[in-house]
Amino acid sequence: MSEVGTSPVVRAHGVRAVEVKVFADAEQVPLLRSFAADIAMRLDFDLDAIEDLRMAVDEACSLLVRAAVPGSALACGFEPGEQVITVRVGVDATGPTPPSADAMGWQILTTLAQGVTERVEPAGGGHRVTIELTSGPAGIDSP
Amino acid sequence: MSAAPTAPEGSGTHEYTHLAPKFAELAELPQGDPRREAVRDALVTGHLPLAEHIATRFSHRGVAREDLVQVGTVGLINAVDRFDPARGIDFLSYAVPTIMGEVRRYFRDTAWSVRVPRRLKELHLTISAAGNELSQRLGRAPTPSEIAAHLDIPKEDVYEGLEAGQVYQSVSLDEALSAGEPGSDPLADTLGEDDAGLLGIEDHESLRPLIERLPERERTILLLRFFKNMTQTQIAERIGVSQMHVSRLLTKTLETLRTGLVEEPGKG
Repeated sequence: MSEVGTSPVVRAHGVRAVEVKVFADAEQVPLLRSFAADIAMRLDFDLDAIEDLRMAVDEACSLLVRAAVPGSALACGFEPGEQVITVRVGVDATGPTPPSADAMGWQILTTLAQGVTERVEPAGGGHRVTIELTSGPAGIDSP
Repeated sequence: MSAAPTAPEGSGTHEYTHLAPKFAELAELPQGDPRREAVRDALVTGHLPLAEHIATRFSHRGVAREDLVQVGTVGLINAVDRFDPARGIDFLSYAVPTIMGEVRRYFRDTAWSVRVPRRLKELHLTISAAGNELSQRLGRAPTPSEIAAHLDIPKEDVYEGLEAGQVYQSVSLDEALSAGEPGSDPLADTLGEDDAGLLGIEDHESLRPLIERLPERERTILLLRFFKNMTQTQIAERIGVSQMHVSRLLTKTLETLRTGLVEEPGKG
């Protein structure tokens, strides 16, 4: 299960929004990480911001993969904007535990991304857990 | 999307909360007090999983995780030493950026030892140099297009060079395939097969003089690898050179022997 959908609409810097669906498996996380970095590069983020996004996506996906129902999908959407990218990752989880329950992982994620939100909602007898993060070149929120 | 905002940093409890009082304790102990050392040790040891976790996050770049854990631990020690509990922020939110900074610096300062095409390697080095120069001038990391303009090369080339940088350092062939799984085979053991030309090497009359003619170090490496069955990393440790160097010497030695076998049949 690896599906990639690309938006027909071209956004900032000629980059399109992309939806990627992979198995919710740790082996698949590097794929999403590379997607994120490639898009950030083409959005002309500065090098630190590219690296931060790469690792933020890594962390977010890792948090979700651990919670995912075995054999289910990890859906990841990349929405490029002007000087910003929004990444939304979601899984069907076995329990309603929010990703922020992992204090260390969450701290790393919030350090790397400029904005992070999480959402846990009931879905088809189970739970849908989503992390949305926004990231952009430093200067907006440099540490 | 209407997501609930997340809890502010430092609120709530987590697995390190129990360590927080120790920072106050450390702050109250006067400099030079012998008890400081024990409290500091406990803080560093207690937070070690943090350094390990961050090291894992960076380990996709091909540097051995253990090396990164060491670097991360240095960052952690710095964080423990510099943290001021009086400022009212959570240690985690102070330590994570500090540890990451240390690991990042390590990557910046670490040289290549990669099997990346020379063109890409040079491209990456050129881009890194331009990146450093522009960082100083701009006071922030440059963007790919700024680098492209500075070097007067197409942006696509910058993209390519940056991607090449993702493999900073090659993973040793002697490193286990699945790090962390004790039973995992080193990658080298899964590659290739016994060189038929070297089978029965001990009895091979035509090979013996060739081996004897090898420089002593090359001969030692050959013997350790094929007779003592040591890994390249073990050999590197034994004779005090890098594993990459062992690899090169071994390759060259085998080439010499093969060529010798072809060129001097029956001789010796």
